[in-house]
Amino acid sequence: MRLKVLIPALAALLTIVVGMTYAQKPFRQFQGSEYDEFPLPPDYEEKSELVLGRLMYKSVSRGFRRFTSWTIDYPRADRHLAAGIRRLTRTHVRSVEQPISLDDDDDIYNWPFLYAVEVGHWDLTDAQAARLRDYLLRGGFLMCDDFHGSEEWEMFMDGMRKVFPDRPVVDIENGDAIFHVLYDLDDRYQVPGAQYLWTGRTYERDGVEARWRGVYDDKGRLMVALNHNMDLGDAWEWSDDPRYPEKWASLAYRIGVNYVMYAMTH
Amino acid sequence: MFEFFFKYPAAAYERGKIVLAGGWPVWLLVLAIVAGAGFMGYLLYRQRNETLIKGYRQIAIWGLQSALLGLLLLMLWQPALSVTALKAQQNVVAVIIDDSKSMGLVEDGSSRREKAIRSLDGGLLKDLREKFQVRLYRTGERLQKIDKLEQLNSSDRATRLADSMKEVVAEAGSLPIGAVVLVSDGAENSGGIDLETIQEIKRRQIPVHTIGVGREKLIKDIELSEAQTPAKALQDSRLSALVTFRQYGYAGQKGKLTLRESGKVVASQDVVFKQDGVQQTESALFNAGSAGAKNLDLQIDPLPGEENTLNNKLTRVFDVSSAKPRVLYVEGEPRWEYKFIRRAMEEDKTMELVTLLRTTPNKFYRQGIGNPKELENGFPTTVDELFGYQAIVLGTVEAAWFTPTQQELLHRFVDKRGGGLIFLAGRASFSDGGFAREPFIPMLPVTLPERKGTFHRDPATAELTVAGRDSLICRIEENADRNLERWKTLPYILGYQELGVPKPGALTLAEMTAGGKAKQPLLVTQNYGRGRTAAFAGAGTWRWQMLQPLADKSHETFWQQFLRWSVTGTPTQVQASLSKSMLADESKVRFRAEVRDKSYQPAGDASIVARIIGPNGTGSEVTMTPVPTESGVFEAEYNAEREGSYVVEMIARKGVEELGRDVATFRREDGVAENFHVEQNRELLEKLAQQTGGTHRGVADARKLGADISYSDAGITMRETKDLWNMPLFFLLALALRGSEWMLRRKWGVI
Repeated sequence: MRLKVLIPALAALLTIVVGMTYAQKPFRQFQGSEYDEFPLPPDYEEKSELVLGRLMYKSVSRGFRRFTSWTIDYPRADRHLAAGIRRLTRTHVRSVEQPISLDDDDDIYNWPFLYAVEVGHWDLTDAQAARLRDYLLRGGFLMCDDFHGSEEWEMFMDGMRKVFPDRPVVDIENGDAIFHVLYDLDDRYQVPGAQYLWTGRTYERDGVEARWRGVYDDKGRLMVALNHNMDLGDAWEWSDDPRYPEKWASLAYRIGVNYVMYAMTH
Repeated sequence: MFEFFFKYPAAAYERGKIVLAGGWPVWLLVLAIVAGAGFMGYLLYRQRNETLIKGYRQIAIWGLQSALLGLLLLMLWQPALSVTALKAQQNVVAVIIDDSKSMGLVEDGSSRREKAIRSLDGGLLKDLREKFQVRLYRTGERLQKIDKLEQLNSSDRATRLADSMKEVVAEAGSLPIGAVVLVSDGAENSGGIDLETIQEIKRRQIPVHTIGVGREKLIKDIELSEAQTPAKALQDSRLSALVTFRQYGYAGQKGKLTLRESGKVVASQDVVFKQDGVQQTESALFNAGSAGAKNLDLQIDPLPGEENTLNNKLTRVFDVSSAKPRVLYVEGEPRWEYKFIRRAMEEDKTMELVTLLRTTPNKFYRQGIGNPKELENGFPTTVDELFGYQAIVLGTVEAAWFTPTQQELLHRFVDKRGGGLIFLAGRASFSDGGFAREPFIPMLPVTLPERKGTFHRDPATAELTVAGRDSLICRIEENADRNLERWKTLPYILGYQELGVPKPGALTLAEMTAGGKAKQPLLVTQNYGRGRTAAFAGAGTWRWQMLQPLADKSHETFWQQFLRWSVTGTPTQVQASLSKSMLADESKVRFRAEVRDKSYQPAGDASIVARIIGPNGTGSEVTMTPVPTESGVFEAEYNAEREGSYVVEMIARKGVEELGRDVATFRREDGVAENFHVEQNRELLEKLAQQTGGTHRGVADARKLGADISYSDAGITMRETKDLWNMPLFFLLALALRGSEWMLRRKWGVI
């Protein structure tokens, strides 16, 4: 008689424990590098299909940016992109992003799309790199943005080599589906950050030429898409500012939407 | 014992007629008995005041005395038995001895053949020869006359008793065959003794006396009685084989069920034997492998002490098609489920998944298309376009998005074309998507709730039902019990839909628990028209992929099997089938082809040929003829003369245009049937004897047959009248009646 009660109770407990282990974390908001507080939209708690994940990571020591470079353009850029996806596609997307840490056990696996900025400053531990690798191989997608020049590239590659020691980072060909899944993006150009408004330069550091690169899996599907020498985050962030040129904001949205569509179809 | 009391054998009474040989009329006997009983009653009545015998005692004494008087009167009328008997030395008795392989089975130190010979040599043949001419035959695959018992060798690879009986009966036209003696274990393997043969024996009034040899139940044996495998399969598909067997002497022990394809083990699993003699069925999963005709051996490995190990194995054939079925998946909006279903199917090289995704209100994104024109204008609007797929998957796309023509096409796709249709959950699916309308209502395997808001982006945990336990769709672990437990540990599904109530006849394979509510259907399937439909209430199984280790294949396996189910059974324009896929010691097989035109309407005006490639690559061709009662159905009979595997390709043409072709496989095996059902089939032997007026005996009582066999209506006979008045039973009865009266009188103190 006791066993009859005990076994279902243990099974229920196991289900709860397993469920909690695998459960998605609720929405959370951190202080951004540029925004101390950012108002929440009224529907921020809406349950939706797509949530834009913002990758949290520890930065290499570079003065004031230590520990916080992942929050560049956060959360304004993310929310503008979410609004753009809502307007331009049929995707049911949450109005607010989800900051995701590689140290939060299995939480990352609940968010198949990740956006990371300033990856020229990331400092991944071996354990974090292994989790990111596993995430990508299981079907997750990582979009990296806002890193410029050869120095930041090398720092990015330090981390990426930990994630995929044996997978090359290659240029994405024009014919790749990621440039055609929704918009045909054969004619792409460099999208500068907001710094253009006061410097007049479309590039930062020695990153004169925009590079569209990526890491593919064994079946030819992009797992990681890299916007090197570009700042799409800024373009989304400042797209509602009349000083920021429309042509760059427009292209940034189309690239962002295409990347999301690709991530949800490949 | 019978003969002691009744003077003559029971067979004489069975075949004879009781008569009164005294010549006096029967009515006089009745009158005398009534009068005598009356007189007895009168005498007792007169003595009623002079004796102690009164009341019921008087009635008892009257009854006993009247019965004795009646018995004596009956004997005076000379009862006799009128029976037809064979004339001595003028008749032939055919002794047929089963000489098939099963008669070589050794039991208790000697073979059945040796036991049969001993019983015949032990006096029966001598008794028969004293009265009749005896002709000896051996039988198995055919009847053969022999001169002596030493010619028996238990070598025939089949037992065809019916054919042998027919031959002997035919000989009765030229020979005075008075009776047939059949010595056999009854292990007939040509389909039993047909009514026509029995009628012919009865018409000629030849009694068949049967002598059963062999154990009616083996002490230690495992026998496979049936094995079911699909006749056709897709490449690399997971198949289920159902193996039915029974065993004696190994209850509670473990055995190993092994499946081999061309000698290579494709599945192996332990089985625990149930009670002795009980039919037991086990299922085993295996992979169909590459395209081509396949021979599958299903075997329970022999155990120590088994008396017959040749009946542990059955062979089945099936055809693995090289065709790649195409599934069209229509998705109303970008979502993770779409991506991960696509990824799961990318690993399945045997099917093609074509997807149509509405990315924006005005745009489609097509993946997996065969050419740039495919689905160029969205969802198909013509039969030609839609019927090229074998199954359709509807994602979260509202019913009203389909035009009335497209809705009707979808209905015809399932109902007439025989395709599969899967409904997936989503915010524009089922009730929320307006599917509670014609023509979707009958196609759905559930009765949808009459409200909106049935889709929830909340967790739901899945669990298999009893039906799901054995379903190939849900088998993500080889072992059925482990599979049940495995489902319980799958990560929760993020997003589910309330499906309503499964329809009668629908099969609920999985249920889910969500939001603290009672269990509700997760996966429900049903057959509809010529096709099949399924409703799946989960919208977030992608978590099975993302939240489990990379090596885990449960997500991929489930979706591959689910979509494979949706196309399995979807007919092509030509559907080939055979009356049998295994010919055990027989050669005739019937081909059948169902032919349809491009709209999947029966094509009665087609012409069909069947091309057969037999053993050693020998080829032949047969023209198939229409079946008058079934439009679009063609048949032909074929005689497979040689042992081995055959591949039949049925090709349909309408004029010069080829409508399609399909392949079926069969195999002829000789000498196998004799290894099965080797227990003595007493029922068959008894029935044969009973229906022909003969007797059945065991081999130990065989000699007594000599006394019975004389009574027959066949051959050269004479009618005999045998006195019965002097049979011991009458005297014993008279003694018993008188003795009873004496005992009663003594008890009552009147003696």
